[in-house]
Amino acid sequence: MATALDFEYVAPASLEEALAELGARDGDVKVLAGGQSLVPLLNYRLARPSTIVDINGLPLAGISMDDGWLRIGALTRHVTLQHSPEIRAACPVLADAAALIGNVRVRTLGTLGGSLAHADPAGELPMVMVALDARLTLRRRGGRRIVAARDFFTGILTTTLGADELLTEVEVPLTSGAGYAVEEFARRAGDFALVAVTALVRIDRRGRVDDARLAIGGVGPVPVRSIAAEEGLRGQEPTAERLAQVAGAAARALDPVSDAFASGSYRRHLTAILTRRVLTGAVARAMEAA
Amino acid sequence: MTEVVQVAKEFRVVGQPVARHDARDKVAGQTLYAGDWTMPGMLHGAVLQSPYPSARICRIETSRASRMRGVAVVLTAGDVPRNTLWTDLPGQTMVVGPLRSRLNVLAEGRIRYQGEPVALVAAETEARARDALEAIEVEYEPLPGVFDPEEALRPDAPRVHDEGNLLAQWRISSGDLAAGFARADVVVEGEYQTHFVDAGFLEPESGVAWVDADGVVTIRVSTQVIEHFRDVAEVLGLPHNRVRVIAPYVGGGFGGKEDVTVEVYLGLLTWKTKRPVRMVWTRQESLLARTKRHPFRMRYRTGALRTGELVAQQIDLLSDAGAYAYMSALVALYASVTAAGPYRVPNVEVNARVAYTNNCPTSAMRGFGAMQVVLGYESQIDRVARAVGLDPKRVRETNALRRGDTLPVGQVIERHVALPELLERAWQALGDPTLPRAPSVRVGRGVACNMQPYGRLVWLHDWASAWIGFEMDGTVVIRTGVPDLGAGQASSLCQITSEVLGVPMEHVTIHIADSALTPLAGTTTGTRQLYMSGNAVLVTARNLRQQVLEVAAQVLNAAPDALTMAEGEVRTAEGRAVRLPEILRHCAKLGVPRTHLGVYHAPSGEVVDLSKGTGKVFPDYAFGAHAAEVEVDTETGKIRVLKYAAAHDVGRAINPQSVEGQIQGATVQGLGFALMEEVILEQGINLTTSFSTYLIPGVLDVPDVEPVIVESGEGAGPLGARGIGEPPIGPPAAAVANAVENATGIRLTTTPFTPERVARALGAVTGEDGREPVPEDHSR
Amino acid sequence: MKIEFIVNGQPREFDVAASETLLKVLREAGCWEVKEGCGEGVCGSCTVLFDDQPVSSCLVLAPLARGHSVITVRGLQENGGSLHPLQEALIRHGAVQCGFCTPGIVLTAFAFVERTPDVDREAIREALAGNLCRCTGYAKIVDAIEAYVKGVYG
Repeated sequence: MATALDFEYVAPASLEEALAELGARDGDVKVLAGGQSLVPLLNYRLARPSTIVDINGLPLAGISMDDGWLRIGALTRHVTLQHSPEIRAACPVLADAAALIGNVRVRTLGTLGGSLAHADPAGELPMVMVALDARLTLRRRGGRRIVAARDFFTGILTTTLGADELLTEVEVPLTSGAGYAVEEFARRAGDFALVAVTALVRIDRRGRVDDARLAIGGVGPVPVRSIAAEEGLRGQEPTAERLAQVAGAAARALDPVSDAFASGSYRRHLTAILTRRVLTGAVARAMEAA
Repeated sequence: MTEVVQVAKEFRVVGQPVARHDARDKVAGQTLYAGDWTMPGMLHGAVLQSPYPSARICRIETSRASRMRGVAVVLTAGDVPRNTLWTDLPGQTMVVGPLRSRLNVLAEGRIRYQGEPVALVAAETEARARDALEAIEVEYEPLPGVFDPEEALRPDAPRVHDEGNLLAQWRISSGDLAAGFARADVVVEGEYQTHFVDAGFLEPESGVAWVDADGVVTIRVSTQVIEHFRDVAEVLGLPHNRVRVIAPYVGGGFGGKEDVTVEVYLGLLTWKTKRPVRMVWTRQESLLARTKRHPFRMRYRTGALRTGELVAQQIDLLSDAGAYAYMSALVALYASVTAAGPYRVPNVEVNARVAYTNNCPTSAMRGFGAMQVVLGYESQIDRVARAVGLDPKRVRETNALRRGDTLPVGQVIERHVALPELLERAWQALGDPTLPRAPSVRVGRGVACNMQPYGRLVWLHDWASAWIGFEMDGTVVIRTGVPDLGAGQASSLCQITSEVLGVPMEHVTIHIADSALTPLAGTTTGTRQLYMSGNAVLVTARNLRQQVLEVAAQVLNAAPDALTMAEGEVRTAEGRAVRLPEILRHCAKLGVPRTHLGVYHAPSGEVVDLSKGTGKVFPDYAFGAHAAEVEVDTETGKIRVLKYAAAHDVGRAINPQSVEGQIQGATVQGLGFALMEEVILEQGINLTTSFSTYLIPGVLDVPDVEPVIVESGEGAGPLGARGIGEPPIGPPAAAVANAVENATGIRLTTTPFTPERVARALGAVTGEDGREPVPEDHSR
Repeated sequence: MKIEFIVNGQPREFDVAASETLLKVLREAGCWEVKEGCGEGVCGSCTVLFDDQPVSSCLVLAPLARGHSVITVRGLQENGGSLHPLQEALIRHGAVQCGFCTPGIVLTAFAFVERTPDVDREAIREALAGNLCRCTGYAKIVDAIEAYVKGVYG
């Protein structure tokens, strides 16, 4: 495959070096992690960066526990998210979401950080991070900031990540005890999703919803957090009727764009169906856990 | 009453699931496909495709591209000696006008579809070739276009070609339609719409060309047709005997490599530069601009008696030829001849029209028109069954063609039609019904039968040749111009030869598909190859056998008729045997040839006026019956095929394992057509130019297809074989539509049956875009 | 730039541009068995094993391969060229038609079965979900792998 001929390629050996590169360069600089989103664009000449900064040599993979949060390095590959015993134990919805990504080859090389920085509106990981209220660490030369997942995604394939910044780490809360479910609707196994939904639910001793999180992907430029739906569930008994009602309301609040592959009304309809199914699944798991 | 013909299993090699000789190299990664070939000093070629579907070229400036370092040549229309490609079947174009079509090699001032080739480059590297494409400056003036065949036929529609947008018409008429409908107890009307799909072969269009030591332009290309050497010669202004086409093992064709693809560009570039040139298309280029399957709008009016007996069929077909004719007229002919289905219908009228549009050109694709109409006739017969309250299988059995019946076009069915048995066996193969796994899920079953012509139109006087020879050590060489697309075309010929000459498969070597070195056998298209080259090899092998036995008779002192050839020997009835090398030495001593060049001529006929219903059109037809069990998620609209059985009468299965593989592969391609593949063109702009948007089925998208082989022994092919390459792709869409109707009561009539279409048909989703109320109750 | 990585057990050195993909580098070095089908990692024809795991070589920029191990389908054969039992299985079951998808499927199946030796038909199908085949309809491919898992071919 013919790629654009001229870009400069640098492979920093340390985080400091990488941040220095990002800070110093003009022009279109692309970060290379797994390459699963970037390289197709290069192959078809849809992206023509002046520089590519290969961060695969940086020590940014790794999973650790810290004060109720799971800290995951940005270079952690999807296949690791999918199979890691720590993630399965501490935040299983993340493992399930990773398993839905693409195909086995994409999961072998694709990274958590790459997926989040790419910000595909139908992406599984952006949606899950929004559901979890994950905290993203962005570093630049001489500084760092923590950004809430909800604030990170700003538009189609667009984030607040600055040209001189690198996403280095993601923190997700431990979710043990919570029921969870993640599902997506795709035309073919492994395709990009038309609609994807994630839910987490905690049930109290009285059998009522103590806490609920609901995020929907593929229905707008960024993952949608259905705050109204969550509030509609809190303190309520999660009956089938209530879940259906909440799902319908969550869908009605959306105005998905129509494109060649699906109309807005069909996406809205799918959202209601999938949300109901995901909430049902999450509640069932929550009941088991309680 | 059904006629079931048993086939004696008297063969040693034919009928065995022998491992194919090409499989070993393929699984080991040794096979060199067209794009795997390198030559010293090789350049890389690329094509500039028009971004507009309808435009005038105001200006092309190539100097910046030509001047780039590493760019060898940049060509536009003016550089092409004869800038015309004809879609031409030798021997037929003088007879039936619309079957001849022309197009430019490179666009001359006018663009008629998005992706139309505008310029060619060759450069030292692939990357440099693409840089050169970007440096070519083209000024386009977009023009109005027309993108719907019905609109194209209106008098005020923009003209795609000066001669008007109606490319071809066919009319078939038999019996008395009015009288037929007058007798009918029920009349069922239906309208069906099929869509553009892509061949989706995994190996993109590719090849390498060079000028050999004798100055012959040699093109090693992924193709179904080596005879295109003639087309390349015409374009280059060379004598036909100065161009050679070689087809290596092809990574899938399905009709998409039947027309000229890259060979003409390769010929031009190598001839101009005098250096070897390679061209490999990207998937994006292939999906954008290569020929697609014809969308058909089909209107059916079917009359039947209360018994289910069909008495009248009135059928109107309109297909979209896209911007250039290619094979469009022929595809519509196939559709017209088979539009009433494999049924006995005394009064039939078919009117078919083919319209030009500024969409991507359409041409040959597996099934070739006879595929699309299956949705029409198999949906109609299910609707008739519903209208008269009879089982859909029963109604099919009532009407199924039998030997001696006459098709609407006037052709008498001369051979056994195994439909009732096929239908029964496919249905039985589904086994016990599956229970719905959730309240919102419905499960249903449906069937669909089909008929697919095999072999060329009889007035094309089709023929195929083969050369077979013994080496002195008793091993055998076959030479025949047969492109092998992966369906075991070459391997089957080895099996037949091994059978006739009594030589083990390991001792047979075959050389295929070289227009200079192998006797021509015609195209690997239209399910003709086993029929034609199989018969050619059979005839040749038998002649060679006779030659050798006449010498062996002298050696063994026996009559030639009393001798057999087996395991590399010639044997008498009493068991005396002589090994082949000894016989062959005698042949040499006596001056008797150890080789034979044979030709098989298909039984031919004269041109039939279809509208007068006077005669034979195709040599024979292959019949099949499929049964599907599907699950419909009534909330999302998603259809999942749970079980699927495909039964086909293949006459005789030369290699049953290959036959099963063809049945399974073609069926899955048909399911892709039915459920998920869609070339989306909006105002002529292609929105699906990637395998992530053009969805071909993966393993999880389809069930294991249960293949059922029936051997009636009466095919026109070698040893009674019929073709199997195309037939199984016809029934799936109809089988699924019928199963969905059984499950949900809704009748799907527009392919593909996407989840959204199904959800809307179920009433689960209403409204176009914008804010539509989402129903409160989602707990169904 | 000069990069070194292991191909089918042999250390190799390549002179590459950073913009070249592993697919291109391998093919130019004579590894024609690695095929190009789509340029975006969807079809699986370009699959190679990268440190024993399947990746789309069309999506790996060459420098990323530095220091890693790459296996193509030719790397599965014994020295002396006899086929791996998985390859024999595919031939015997009629699972090879045009053959273009075959190298990618062989490697994907091989890696999967190495990782999880005791698998059923459903698991095999899921493992192949990312490999497209246009010719076979998949059934015989799955049959062959099932037989291989059962040890029919050694």
